[in-house]
Amino acid sequence: MLAELRTSKLSPQKYYELYMKTFDELRMLEVFFREETKRGCTNAYLYELVQHAGNILPRLYLLCTVGSVYIKSKDAPAKEVLKDLVEMCRGIQHPIRGLFLRSYLSQISKDKLPDAASEFEGEGGTVVDAVEFVIQNFTEMNKLWVRMQHQGPAREKEKREKERSELRDLVGKNLHVLSQLEGVDLGMYRDMVLPRVLEQVVNCKDELAQYYLMDCIIQVFPDEYHLQTLETLLGACAQLQPTVDVKTVMSQLMERLSNYAASTPQVLADFLQVEAFSKLSEAVVKVIEAQPDMPLVGAVSLHVSLLTFTLRVHVDRLDYVDQVLGACVKKLEGVGKVKDSKATKQIIALLSAPLEKYNNVVTVLTLTNYPKVMEHLDYGTNKVMAVVIIQSIMKNGTFIMEADKVEALFELLKEIIQDSDGAPTLDELDEEDFMEEQNLVARLVQMLTNKDNDEMFKILLTARKHFLKGGPKRLGYTLPPLVFSALKLVRLLQQQGENSEAEEGAASSQKVFQFLLQTVEALSAVPAPELALRLYLQCAEAANDSDLEPVAYEFFTQAFVLYEEEIADSKAQVTAIHLIIGTLQRMNVFGVENRDTLTHKATGYSAKLLKKPDQCRAVYACSHLFWVEVEGGVRDGERVLLCLKRALRIANAAQQMASVTKGSGGPVTLFVEILNKYLYYFEHGNQHITNSVIQGLIELIVTELQSENTTQDPMVDAFLASTLRYIRFQKQKGDGVAERYAAIEV
Amino acid sequence: MATRKRTLLKVIILGDSGVGKTSLMNQYVNKKFSNQYKATIGADFLTKEVQVEDRLVTMQIWDTAGQERFQSLGVAFYRGADCCVLVYDVNVMKSFENLDNWRNEFLIQANPSDRENFPFVVLGNKVDIDGGNSRVVAEKKAKGWCTSKGNIPYFETSAKEDLNVEAAFQCIAKNALKNETEEEIYLPDTIDVNNGGSQSKSTCEC
Repeated sequence: MLAELRTSKLSPQKYYELYMKTFDELRMLEVFFREETKRGCTNAYLYELVQHAGNILPRLYLLCTVGSVYIKSKDAPAKEVLKDLVEMCRGIQHPIRGLFLRSYLSQISKDKLPDAASEFEGEGGTVVDAVEFVIQNFTEMNKLWVRMQHQGPAREKEKREKERSELRDLVGKNLHVLSQLEGVDLGMYRDMVLPRVLEQVVNCKDELAQYYLMDCIIQVFPDEYHLQTLETLLGACAQLQPTVDVKTVMSQLMERLSNYAASTPQVLADFLQVEAFSKLSEAVVKVIEAQPDMPLVGAVSLHVSLLTFTLRVHVDRLDYVDQVLGACVKKLEGVGKVKDSKATKQIIALLSAPLEKYNNVVTVLTLTNYPKVMEHLDYGTNKVMAVVIIQSIMKNGTFIMEADKVEALFELLKEIIQDSDGAPTLDELDEEDFMEEQNLVARLVQMLTNKDNDEMFKILLTARKHFLKGGPKRLGYTLPPLVFSALKLVRLLQQQGENSEAEEGAASSQKVFQFLLQTVEALSAVPAPELALRLYLQCAEAANDSDLEPVAYEFFTQAFVLYEEEIADSKAQVTAIHLIIGTLQRMNVFGVENRDTLTHKATGYSAKLLKKPDQCRAVYACSHLFWVEVEGGVRDGERVLLCLKRALRIANAAQQMASVTKGSGGPVTLFVEILNKYLYYFEHGNQHITNSVIQGLIELIVTELQSENTTQDPMVDAFLASTLRYIRFQKQKGDGVAERYAAIEV
Repeated sequence: MATRKRTLLKVIILGDSGVGKTSLMNQYVNKKFSNQYKATIGADFLTKEVQVEDRLVTMQIWDTAGQERFQSLGVAFYRGADCCVLVYDVNVMKSFENLDNWRNEFLIQANPSDRENFPFVVLGNKVDIDGGNSRVVAEKKAKGWCTSKGNIPYFETSAKEDLNVEAAFQCIAKNALKNETEEEIYLPDTIDVNNGGSQSKSTCEC
């Protein structure tokens, strides 16, 4: 079986299987040798005896096996036997065979090293001998392993590299043995183990070996050793071959260190003492310099790792975080917008990390290099990042309470808030995406708030400044929430009582209304007249509540101007006029003159609507402008009656038109509607509405319904029936109202 | 000599990276513990003599790399195992969930003659951490899994505080020994010294 190990035909994995089988058998042989020595055979004799084996490979396996027994018996100092064995193994220079043989040596000697506190220490040697032995074995193995790539035809290079990769653990195992030695304390590691190992790693100049061995060093030795030897370790990183994937190596180191800091907080002081952060940042720069061909993604992801480390270990050091971002900006200088998608992904990771860590955009806004990194994202990605930022704000309920923070935030979000150079035109964007983004921006407005009114006003001004750059398509989304935010401020100002001697720059109702007027005006120019009209009316109501007559009047005037000039659609007109009437009815700030002017206009527009039924309804609605059921409200019964009469006339005209174009039963319902208005005023004591007027109207309706021109409409019948039932009910109530109703016959 | 019982038991320890495989082995064999995390590369074993029911056996305990990238040569060492120890960290859910994978992987690669009855032992390690406050895998849950896989013995251990380690490995040795009977016939008989010597000489052809 030992002889079969001489084969060159097996792949490393198959050879390993064979090796394992042999290994098991050799364990039996070892037991046998041990028993043999008990029967009087000396170890030295056996050691000599096996050397008679003719083939060198079996001979050395046997020698190692006897050597193991020999050391265990302590008949000879461990260090001597080990030294002899490791020298003898030089006899095999075939890479695979040599690697496995040495791996066997390493395996059987592992528990027999003259390690500190081990039974073989003392006469058997010291830990230095143990380390010397392992390092020598490691060095020889590494040489075999590296040399392997040059053996055999060039066309099989790929296969050979794969085989080499499979063999890597045999070499790395030596490092594991070193890490398990008790006697290797920090001092010894720093002064002997690490420098010797690194020397081997750096000097072998092989990509595969360097990458793998660095990874091993980082993984097998404890964190505190790394922390105390950072400079040496990082120094080696910069000396590796330019093709080695250093970024992964360093990322793993940083990940380990940050895990270490996270799990044992008391070591933080050590991190500070050895200046881990500055050493790592310097190393990142150096490594990037040393590898001029490193793709951009590599450089950025190194910074991501460093940032992750910083956020985990020095979470309170915003200056460190900013410094990392700054270093990345420096690297990106001259690159412009990053085109490579992998690098872009890393930049996103870089920008997302602080957001996720701090869960507070305000903290992130203090990082001066943050926007500079973001600049390098292309348009689409930049917007994605902006959305991520807004979502973070919404999710964490972060209020942005200072105008300068708002300024900084909007600077960050500019691709989403405005059209910058080089952005695709809005027509090229997906409509739905655009809507979604702008709705997000709209939601963001509620988070920009401060209890201090003056600061709040500044915030509004800042926000508007940025929103106005957004172009017509965005304003419809962004300005309304701003208007409502301002209205909220007005209400607060009013509640708190105005400070009449407001300082310069301080918020006052007047100023906020001025702001509102301009803001809505911007919206009307978009054009979004219907939206603007509603907002004007909202503002007018607010001005009414603040008792500012001229301001309220101005808003109404603007609303009317819009109505006249911009609202052309007849349906939109109907809606608009009813909104105007409804709002105007609730206004109590106006003096007689202003009120008359506005009511007059409203009534006028009502009568000019396109369709008769719309006219009729708007006009009877106007009657409410002369009768307000609140204390001190207008009660002009005569003009109410005039309105209603006018509505009746229009209904008549509509009825006539309908009888010309047969088949439309609509207008009769208008009469019933007007009847209901009559009843309302009748009940509320309008002296101009008499029972005879109502009686007349009822008869008129009944006649109309029976007229053959009118098509049957059960809806109208039911409407009338319930109106009449209501009158009967009121008559029976037996109170003051019933008395008035008594005269009406139904 | 033909009735001589096999005295070498092969035990494989498997489990995710960082669950404490090496620590458990070191605690059991060397009575040593270190808090430092040191990754294991490849596979390696330590031996320990144990007394199992008045028999002295040598246990060969194979510690393995939990990180896949340090297992480049494959798992040929699973071959001939007498018992497989599955370790997880009671504070890390993922390490428990992966037990299934480790068990399946072992059965496929080691391909024992009697898959159904191959002895496994499960260890829930690191029960000492934070006074047990940070544990996420309940004992009941772990036991449930063990029962469902054919009543695998289960131990809660702490390599750091040497809790249950001895008991667990006693059980491991006992179960490994039960498994041994069948494979006994494959073992070579004791070799005569002269015979052994001449055998190695006979390979000498060059």
